[in-house]
Amino acid sequence: MRRVSRRQFLYGGFGAGTLALAGCSTPGTSAVNTQPTIPPAAQGETVRLTYWAWITDLQVVADIWNEQNPHIQVDVSWIPGATDGGYQKLYSSLAAGAGPDLAQVELRALPEFMLVNGLVDLTRYGVEQYENRFDETLWGQVSFADGVYGIPQDSGPVGMYYRPDLFEEAGAEIPTSWVQWREAGRALKEKGIFLDSFPLTDGSVFTAHAMQAGATWFQAEEDSWVINMSDEATLDVARFFDEVVDEGLVTTQHEPYSPGWFAAASNDQIASLVSASWGDALLSGVSGAEGLWRVAPAPRWEHGYGSSTIGGSTSAVMANCQHPAEALEFAVWLNSHPEGIDGLIEHSGIGWSANPEHIGTPRQGPSEFFGGQEYNTEVFEPAAYDQNPDWQWWPIVQQTFSILGDEFRRKAQGLSLVDAVIAAEEATIEVFKNKGLSIRRADR
Amino acid sequence: MKASAEKRAPWILLAPFLILFLFTFVMPILMAISQSFTMIEREGLFGEEGISTSFAWFENYRLALADGAFVASIGRMFLFGIVQVPIMITLATVLALMLESASARWPGFFRAAYFMPYGVPGVLATILWSFLYVPGLSPIVDTAHSWFGLELDFLSSGTVLWSIANIVTWSYTGYNMLIIIAQLKSIPGDLYEAARVDGAGPLRTALTIQLPLIRPALVLTTVFSIIGTLQLFAEPQLLQQVSPAIDSQYTPNLSAYTTAFQYNDYTVAAAQAVLIALVAFLLSFTFLRLTNRSSR
Repeated sequence: MRRVSRRQFLYGGFGAGTLALAGCSTPGTSAVNTQPTIPPAAQGETVRLTYWAWITDLQVVADIWNEQNPHIQVDVSWIPGATDGGYQKLYSSLAAGAGPDLAQVELRALPEFMLVNGLVDLTRYGVEQYENRFDETLWGQVSFADGVYGIPQDSGPVGMYYRPDLFEEAGAEIPTSWVQWREAGRALKEKGIFLDSFPLTDGSVFTAHAMQAGATWFQAEEDSWVINMSDEATLDVARFFDEVVDEGLVTTQHEPYSPGWFAAASNDQIASLVSASWGDALLSGVSGAEGLWRVAPAPRWEHGYGSSTIGGSTSAVMANCQHPAEALEFAVWLNSHPEGIDGLIEHSGIGWSANPEHIGTPRQGPSEFFGGQEYNTEVFEPAAYDQNPDWQWWPIVQQTFSILGDEFRRKAQGLSLVDAVIAAEEATIEVFKNKGLSIRRADR
Repeated sequence: MKASAEKRAPWILLAPFLILFLFTFVMPILMAISQSFTMIEREGLFGEEGISTSFAWFENYRLALADGAFVASIGRMFLFGIVQVPIMITLATVLALMLESASARWPGFFRAAYFMPYGVPGVLATILWSFLYVPGLSPIVDTAHSWFGLELDFLSSGTVLWSIANIVTWSYTGYNMLIIIAQLKSIPGDLYEAARVDGAGPLRTALTIQLPLIRPALVLTTVFSIIGTLQLFAEPQLLQQVSPAIDSQYTPNLSAYTTAFQYNDYTVAAAQAVLIALVAFLLSFTFLRLTNRSSR
């Protein structure tokens, strides 16, 4: 018998491997939205849909629907949250030509999934008829270039959680503008209390502040993306927080909701938290905090809007879905029908409802934790409609946030936030080009 | 007939291993190499007007190396390795020699005690240590502040690398110690006897008998540690949540992970992964060459 030498064996293996690889196509090369639409299933046929999401107990909510709609049955599978593993699974399944019919995709991640042709354009299945059930701003964030790529599920309108007792101790007024907010911070600092926390590692909070000030970092035009990250509104915000951080009014050591932050908050060292509506559940994790906190509208800039938003998801119909019409029908019910919304709030703990007509039954009435304040209707409901309507997400949001976070970290070494924003804009343009996407700077 | 059955038998017995080895080891490596030479081009705002792939030559490698943060992360690991690996190997050797010396008390108990941290998964070890690092939670930081007025900051940009080195040393010293002990145990007893007859004390025995004879174990543990250093991932990724100084490209692996799974840019990530493997290979190879030469 002829003996196979080690070298020959290795060559053989390499050759076979390369052959096998030639059979794989690169993810995202088949364009689902140019293929013919798939007609709804025939009468009497039962359709089974799979739905991947990381919110808890979504199956319980889907079962309410399953009971009422025997012909469209929805099975939910849990995936890890967003970039903690969920998206990786979705991307891999898309590359393999398989995966779920529906998936939870964050508002800001939709364009990223569009880059791999991962989402069905719902206008091809008549989504326009449902537009009036959803919040305008959110609808704007799921619409790109004449298409609609997801059904808004929830959002995170921003308000200010605060401790009236600490403000009183420092003799500070409850601020309604950011300038007053800074003044309050100076009074609090004398008592050794931090006004708030400014996360240097997470770009999303700064982004929300810029959004509120009226910035629009990206605009999708017909042939190209237009970037405007270092506009006056954004640089104003950066300058403002440069000063606030330099004066030591806020802590940069403890990111909101990190273990150190919880410890500081329960030690009465944090007087306020400008954060999203979903922060209420997290805040209740501060030990001994019951009854101490209240909620007020977010401080305002001289220009811009009353609030902004952090976070928010959609139900997206995925490219390999075999029953898009039915998937759309379920997604619309889930996110706009009072039964769906109440179920999502009660069982899955979603953020702010995407349907302005129904903020959710559990969100009405006074809250024991916030000392009897009806904070949802008082603060977050108006905040949800005082949003920057021009804001649009772009295909590399996650990367821009990381770049921004990496630049912000250098604040500790003496670099300013203003420099960071300008550098992040440069880096973002570079990434667009490397991905083969056309981009240009806005005219000023 | 019988001969062919004899020839088949090893392959049949090897098959379960070979199949797993091919599909979970060889294939992914080949795939990473082939992806690192692929380029994706898009037209339109999202590529809705067409996406094409082509052979990229070394474009992905150029992008990876042009990324200052990625190159800096490799440099950071050099610094880490030059300090941490010698400390850990020295510590492991000293512990091993002491436990194997004639005057050691309860060597079994201490061996187990030193080895114990290795049984704690790296992720848990990092969480445990992070509670000792975070001000407001850490008894060390708080005591130093309130008793001595010292401002300790284990998580600043200057110190966090050594805080990670501390976790790694804590985790792996016992493991390396055990490998060295295994080699010490294989030293024949008559060598010790001869040394004693010649009047060698414990220190002399350690320096001229034990150390030269455990050389292979030292080389092995050092090479493992060099490779381990370049693959540092879980510790910095977890400490990221408490230390603003750790960015998304703090270590080479963290950088490749971020590129692949946060940015969905698999081709550049593949190039980064291949580069990390190359550097690890080069370093181990150089180290082996150096130790071989000096032993001649």
